[in-house]
Amino acid sequence: MKALFALLKDYWGILRRPSVYYSLGFLTLGGFIAGIIFWGGFNTALELTNTEKFCTSCHEMRDNVFVELQDTIHYTNRSGVRASCPDCHVPHEWTHKIARKMQASKEVWGKIFGTINTREKFLDHRRELAEHEWARLKANDSRECRNCHNFQFMDFTRQGKRAAAMHSTSLASGEATCIDCHKGIAHKLPDMSGVKGW
Amino acid sequence: MSMTRREFAKAQAAAIAAAAGGLPIFTSASNLVTEADMVTLDWNKAPCRFCGTGCSVMVATRDNRVVATHGDIKAEVNRGLNCVKGYFLSKIMYGVDRLTQPLLRMKNGQYDKQGEFQAISWEQAFDIMEQKYKEALKNKGPESIGMFGSGQWTVWEGYAANKLMKGGFRSNNIDPNARHCMASAVMGFMRTFGADEPMGCYDDIEATDAFVLWGSNMAEMHPILWTRVTDRRLSQPHVKVAVLSTFEHRSFELADIPMVFKPQTDLYILNYIANHIIESGAVNQDFISKHTRFAKGADDIGYGLRPDNPLETRAKNADKANTWTDISYEQFAAFVKPYTLERTAKETGVSAERLKALAELYADPKRKVVSFWTMGFNQHTRGVWANNLIYNIHLLTGKISEPGNSPFSLTGQPSACGTAREVGTFSHRLPADLVVTNPKHRATAEKIWKLPAGTVQEKVGFHAVQQSRMLKDGVLNVYWTQASNNMQAGPNIMQEVLPGWRRPENFVIVSDVYPTVSAQAADLILPSAMWVEKEGAFGNAERRTQFWHQLVSAPGDARSDLWQLLEFSKRFTTDEVWPAELLAKAPEYKGKTLFEVLFKNGQVDQFPVEQMEVGYKNDEAKAFGFYVQKGLFEEYAQFGRGHGHDLADFDRYHSERGLRWPVVDGKETLWRYREGLDPYVEKGSEVQFYGQPDKKAIIFALPYEPPAEAPDADYPFWLSTGRVLEHWHTGSMTQRVEELYKAVPDALVYMHPEDARAMNARRGSEVKLISRRGEIRARIETRGRNKPPRGLVFVPFFDANKLINKVTLDATDPISKQTDYKKCAIRIELISVA
Amino acid sequence: MQFRMLPLFLLAAIGVVLAADIDYPLDAPGPDGRRPGGTLTQSMPAPPIANDENRDLKRERNYPDQPPTIPHSIRGYQLDMNGNKCLSCHSRANSAKSQATAISITHYMDRDGQALAAVSPRRYFCNQCHVVQKEVQPLVGNSFETIDKILQDDANAAQKP
Repeated sequence: MKALFALLKDYWGILRRPSVYYSLGFLTLGGFIAGIIFWGGFNTALELTNTEKFCTSCHEMRDNVFVELQDTIHYTNRSGVRASCPDCHVPHEWTHKIARKMQASKEVWGKIFGTINTREKFLDHRRELAEHEWARLKANDSRECRNCHNFQFMDFTRQGKRAAAMHSTSLASGEATCIDCHKGIAHKLPDMSGVKGW
Repeated sequence: MSMTRREFAKAQAAAIAAAAGGLPIFTSASNLVTEADMVTLDWNKAPCRFCGTGCSVMVATRDNRVVATHGDIKAEVNRGLNCVKGYFLSKIMYGVDRLTQPLLRMKNGQYDKQGEFQAISWEQAFDIMEQKYKEALKNKGPESIGMFGSGQWTVWEGYAANKLMKGGFRSNNIDPNARHCMASAVMGFMRTFGADEPMGCYDDIEATDAFVLWGSNMAEMHPILWTRVTDRRLSQPHVKVAVLSTFEHRSFELADIPMVFKPQTDLYILNYIANHIIESGAVNQDFISKHTRFAKGADDIGYGLRPDNPLETRAKNADKANTWTDISYEQFAAFVKPYTLERTAKETGVSAERLKALAELYADPKRKVVSFWTMGFNQHTRGVWANNLIYNIHLLTGKISEPGNSPFSLTGQPSACGTAREVGTFSHRLPADLVVTNPKHRATAEKIWKLPAGTVQEKVGFHAVQQSRMLKDGVLNVYWTQASNNMQAGPNIMQEVLPGWRRPENFVIVSDVYPTVSAQAADLILPSAMWVEKEGAFGNAERRTQFWHQLVSAPGDARSDLWQLLEFSKRFTTDEVWPAELLAKAPEYKGKTLFEVLFKNGQVDQFPVEQMEVGYKNDEAKAFGFYVQKGLFEEYAQFGRGHGHDLADFDRYHSERGLRWPVVDGKETLWRYREGLDPYVEKGSEVQFYGQPDKKAIIFALPYEPPAEAPDADYPFWLSTGRVLEHWHTGSMTQRVEELYKAVPDALVYMHPEDARAMNARRGSEVKLISRRGEIRARIETRGRNKPPRGLVFVPFFDANKLINKVTLDATDPISKQTDYKKCAIRIELISVA
Repeated sequence: MQFRMLPLFLLAAIGVVLAADIDYPLDAPGPDGRRPGGTLTQSMPAPPIANDENRDLKRERNYPDQPPTIPHSIRGYQLDMNGNKCLSCHSRANSAKSQATAISITHYMDRDGQALAAVSPRRYFCNQCHVVQKEVQPLVGNSFETIDKILQDDANAAQKP
């Protein structure tokens, strides 16, 4: 332990002393390039984790939620425009994305310790997992839904009677947000006892 | 005409409504909606026309038409509920192409096998039938005529047909379509208990703690029983539901323990559970020592294909499939020992966790269990074994014959039990569990039928699949089918059904209500009366016999199957159909017609028409001059009364919502074989399986054996077939009801989305399904109510334009002769992606 | 009938080829049913999968006891042990907000006709009685007459001299 401290102390010494051999310009440029490489690498890596391929590389996702998604309108529909996992589950804007990714460290933990590595375990946790997502979307006013479904551009004349009635009132007034009514649109629902509206 | 203000307002409203609807109406007619004699409907009970559940419905009639139906609140079975089919019963009789006249294939005024159908009279129809029957009987004897009947026949129709064939024409070539549906269940019961039909009843549902569905999709096929299961499960949270199938379907919506297993591997699971019960010490030793014995059944028994098929020639015990030898409990335990959890999980593809959870439901002595099954077990080349194996589990734990503990074989058809089984319209059976191979049983039948000894033939007749094969081979030449549609429902149509019907020297008669594909392939079509157009009786899956009155008349010249049978029997005298030595034993029958010998025999005709309940039609009684239905029923009831199959008096059934036999001292029996519940069980014996000579049920050691055909490189998919909620069997009735047709218009190929993607197809793509036997075209559904695993597709058989049975294999269980419609190998070719 | 005969003869020939050991025609004229007559050996083309009628217009019932058919699409509506999507609009409590038809009192009754505090579990799976309708034309017509039609016919007949 002592040796480790000594080593760290030496490095700190090197870092805090000004450079004797390299010009400030070199160091600045070098740092800049290193920063780009690092940043680019970080973002590339981050984006890699932001693909359906990555999500479904774990059997927990592939065999449970992804299978269920494939039945739904968010996967297969008239025009072929579809949502992939991160479209709904990862914020698109950077700061929110990083915050979500930090939260995801818990999911890595869950993966390592096999919290939901069987169908039974997954089903046992399904209500809890769903509630996280409902809470997140409720708190952010269904931000990820609205990335595609923008209220401003909804043509109520092209909606069903019931849909237009709801959207033009409750949604318009801000009294309700998407997730309040549209639960379970992409995956199967957990036991819904006690959930408002069910 | 004066009008009150109120009347005037109503008249106005009605006139406006009528104008909007384009209907002419007289304004003063508004009061028609209030006058009692006009708005009062005539409501009567009748059992539903469809499945084996046996719901009772109330039927409203007016002006000789059915105008409404609803669930009968007084009926124990369904308490006011119907499924969507049942709710639309009112409309099944009114398809615009109802058959109303006999039709014969003709060219130049003569019968011709390639002729076009032309309307003829009943007289002409019976003329040509008589000619064909007499020719066949004269040239080749009674083996050359055959009849294919139905679990949708009324009790007396089946009884009359059975008697006419076996006692009149002396041919045992009569078999019901229930062969395709219930035969494995029957042989399962006969082997284990020595007596047919379930020991329990539907009351088990409200008394149990767990339901296990073995290959049964009750949510669609027995919807009203499913409402009772749902009710029990959701209102009592401790209750568990396990659902086993080769693909995910609607019943999985209620499953606590869902399991999708590889086809045929249910035999592993059944043996594993027996092994688990033994190894975990859950055997009810007291029960098995007192009430059971053990046997090892013959194995390697073949697949019921034609005898020259390599699968048959290779099978060691194909000729003695239904034999067994006694073994001990220890030997049985050793037999099932290799069926371990690990091996079962590997072979079935089901997680060990779930298998164990299922086994625990049975093993837990504190948990009552009801097992349900229908076609998943019965339509199985080892279907009889599967039936035996499920009884093993219930017998090992003693969970049987008491409220809530029940191995329950459900039936498909409304009277598969009542008519096909109890009346014994199978090619080997006689009423009340008697068989033609037993001389004592034949003597009993001959005595009740007042026929000379030796009338009933000993040799087992042709079973359903064999009838098709024998028609094709020219052995069977005249064939009459009633209330069934074998050209759509029979297996391997192109190779084994159609060729026989179309063979030039063969003559095929189809009695039906609509132009089914069977009618289209027939030579003579007879228009039948249906459901409440005749007085009838059905027997449901819980041994409940239910009656109904004739409520309306059949359209045009349509006549009930009963009338057709009796009327046709007048065309033959005993001299024409019986050999001289038989006739010599009953000289009083000389020169008499079969009608006189069989039906005007002093028994069947003993009840005058005056005994009919006032206010009801009865076209048959009117035609023959006596209460035919009552006479037939009372004669038939002689077979079972005092022998554990007691039926109540005829008249009582008209006032009851059915009674579960045996009805002893006026009381129905809910659970058989247990002391205190079943009057046939002796005091102090606790339980008696009195169908067996030693009153002990047999626990069978039977192994896993592979299916007749499995996917390979050329035919890589499993094909499973079956029904859907909205249509009844081949859809002849339900597809003529607009609402049911529009709910499910076409048979679809239910398929895994990744299988579709792998062949560049998707939902809605048109494909060809091809087997070694035939092909059809249909559309892919990847997100419907059924979700098959990869490598398996499900196609329902209701669709006359997609005859999936062109593709299926006519392999049967070698013991029951029931076809396995759930397993064959196919390949799928893409026709168009959209 | 004549028009249908031509393809029929062609197909009869194919039928013979299909089954090598059969030297007689498998097809012959037949009355039209759901399937056109004389087509048994053919593989009929499969019509496209139709859409659900989704107009939200209530349909006339044939009689009061008939369960109404569903006038809208129910794609993705979950109906299992975990939840019943139908009730989120059609339950008594939600029907005012959704303006959907509230399920009737019978749906709150148990087997013995006793009303319960909530929807009866025996009625839980709505789609056992209520079904959507595809945008297709009936294959065969049906001449069922409602009681209103019969009563009106009676009245009309009575009015005529």
